[in-house]
Amino acid sequence: MRRFKSAEVALSLGVLALGLGVAGVTATLPSEGGYAGIGPNFIPAVVGAGIVLLGLWLSFEAFNGGWRGAAPDDASERGEHAFHAPAFGWISAGLFAHMALIGWAGFVIAGIVLFACVARGFGSLRIARDLGFGLVLSLGIYLFFVKLLNVNLPAGWLKPILGTAGI
Amino acid sequence: MEAFEALMAGFAVALKPINLLWGFIGVTLGTFIGVLPGVGPALTVAMLLPLTVKLDPTGALIMFAGIYYGAMFGGSTTTILLNTPGESASIATALEGNRMAKRGRAGPALATAAIGSFVAGTIATVLLTLLAPVVVDLALKFGPAEYFSLMVFAFITVSAVLGSSTVRGLTSLFIGLFFGLIGIDSQTGQPRFAFGVAELLDGVDVVVLAVGLFAVGEALYVAAYQSRLTESIEKLKGSIMMSAEDWKRSWPAWLRATAIGFPFGTIPAGGAEIPTFLSYTVEKKLSRHPEEFGHGAIEGVAGPEAANNASATGVLVPLLTLGIPTSATAAILLGAFQNYGLQPGPQLFQAQSDLVWGLIASLYVGNVILLILNLPLIGIWVKVLQIPKDILYAGILVFATLGAYSLHQSWVDLLTLYVFGLLGFAMRRWDIPVGPAVIGLILGPLAETQFRRALSISQGDATVFFTQPISASFLAVTAALVILPWAVRRWRR
Repeated sequence: MRRFKSAEVALSLGVLALGLGVAGVTATLPSEGGYAGIGPNFIPAVVGAGIVLLGLWLSFEAFNGGWRGAAPDDASERGEHAFHAPAFGWISAGLFAHMALIGWAGFVIAGIVLFACVARGFGSLRIARDLGFGLVLSLGIYLFFVKLLNVNLPAGWLKPILGTAGI
Repeated sequence: MEAFEALMAGFAVALKPINLLWGFIGVTLGTFIGVLPGVGPALTVAMLLPLTVKLDPTGALIMFAGIYYGAMFGGSTTTILLNTPGESASIATALEGNRMAKRGRAGPALATAAIGSFVAGTIATVLLTLLAPVVVDLALKFGPAEYFSLMVFAFITVSAVLGSSTVRGLTSLFIGLFFGLIGIDSQTGQPRFAFGVAELLDGVDVVVLAVGLFAVGEALYVAAYQSRLTESIEKLKGSIMMSAEDWKRSWPAWLRATAIGFPFGTIPAGGAEIPTFLSYTVEKKLSRHPEEFGHGAIEGVAGPEAANNASATGVLVPLLTLGIPTSATAAILLGAFQNYGLQPGPQLFQAQSDLVWGLIASLYVGNVILLILNLPLIGIWVKVLQIPKDILYAGILVFATLGAYSLHQSWVDLLTLYVFGLLGFAMRRWDIPVGPAVIGLILGPLAETQFRRALSISQGDATVFFTQPISASFLAVTAALVILPWAVRRWRR
């Protein structure tokens, strides 16, 4: 039998590392500040110290019987299925593709790709339908925001069709 | 009487046709988005924030009041028909509401939720109207030391006292406080934790954090752990009307729940979770039909739903009068105020009386709109519920990324959004509450400002927090809340 859950240990150490990181950056901040003698580094130091202490506390729990009162590790006890990596992957891929495409290919095309990838992640195999829905939704949002709300969104490759609207 | 005149002036603002229209749009959109499974009130408000960028502050805030109420009601519809509570405050409703729907009584369940929300919301708004000027008078006496101690009190209650684990609640809070530090220090202009990235110098936007945690994190989680499950939606059969018996059993529950929900909303007690459960327990105890509980007792829907709405209104008391958000949704609403350069608090009541009272008046109007809009449109909301999950989450993410991108037109904000999404996924999976992080992000910088101001005034004397009586009592209560439960547990052993 495993004595501790590796995910909880990893997260606890991650919190600890974040706290040390905050403390490290805080050391580079200036400390002088007005009448109070409280500079811009004081609260960061408090927050950093707090995160370090919480990281230690979480690690202690993780190494001593696991986090108290946490959700069961076995997915079926939570009424769920086991971690489905492709679903996680498709959604992440969609978000990264969107990031890469939005400034270059434009809001509408990035939106279509994101929509199709997320739907695929949720198990949809109807790619044509998803691309169609993605187009309708992205174009609708684009026109609403650019024409009605005057919020600039990139037209990208569709500039010849969408005209002067957007950037 | 002063408050009455101010309220009448507020109605003059809220009843302007254009503001009525914003309220109407807000309630409709709020309900529409709130009905979507997996979308709670916090995410609804965060996703719809970009829509108001071009509105004047009064119109925008009136629209937000509508969104806030609509999202609450939409959530209860989902719970009753789908049995997947979008938020913890709906769990009590799910116990009885979904059972009623399974027995073919979805109509009366939805009706008692809607009418109960209206009754509770309206009474709670009256209480808000009466209480707000009193709190404002008190708050005008507060200096920076009092504000700081009050904020410490709020931090501790929302993170450490409630929830399944003190350490995980505090961790969430401190991560939020850290995010709040990113950007330019408001007192000295010193950049902190920005690492030269222009988008980070502006600080972490509450919309990006909330949408990342609630939308991206939720999508990743549901896809990874639930997308291969099937679930059933209860059909809306039979009459939507409540019988005389239903009325007789519902109205005392509505009133009792209002009395429970409103006070819980006004104190920083982590939102509507406790009052809804408390109301459920009270109704179960007092019911003449205790055997029906667990099989669809109408009091078990009427009470928690009314308590939920009453506490949602109660939350607006500390938000408007002190500028202190006590729930994730309230923190996002505070972010909406800040977008317009407004800082809720006693000064806002004096400087922008029309805006604040217009907002309060619009709460009365919003409740009425909600009532007349929702029951007739219930068929549409049921259709919305039937949107398949793949289409639903794909649409949510297209909208969620828009909110982040429109801040600076930069992909960096989209990367930040994804990082918050991963964080939200991990927090959901390993049972770390997300509310304290959102509150920490918004309230942290305000607390730091008050802290430094207090020490400037006292010329660096840190005892000021303990020697001022009001400040000292806030800290004493905070300490008691932390120590007492722990001491009681020790003593019982």
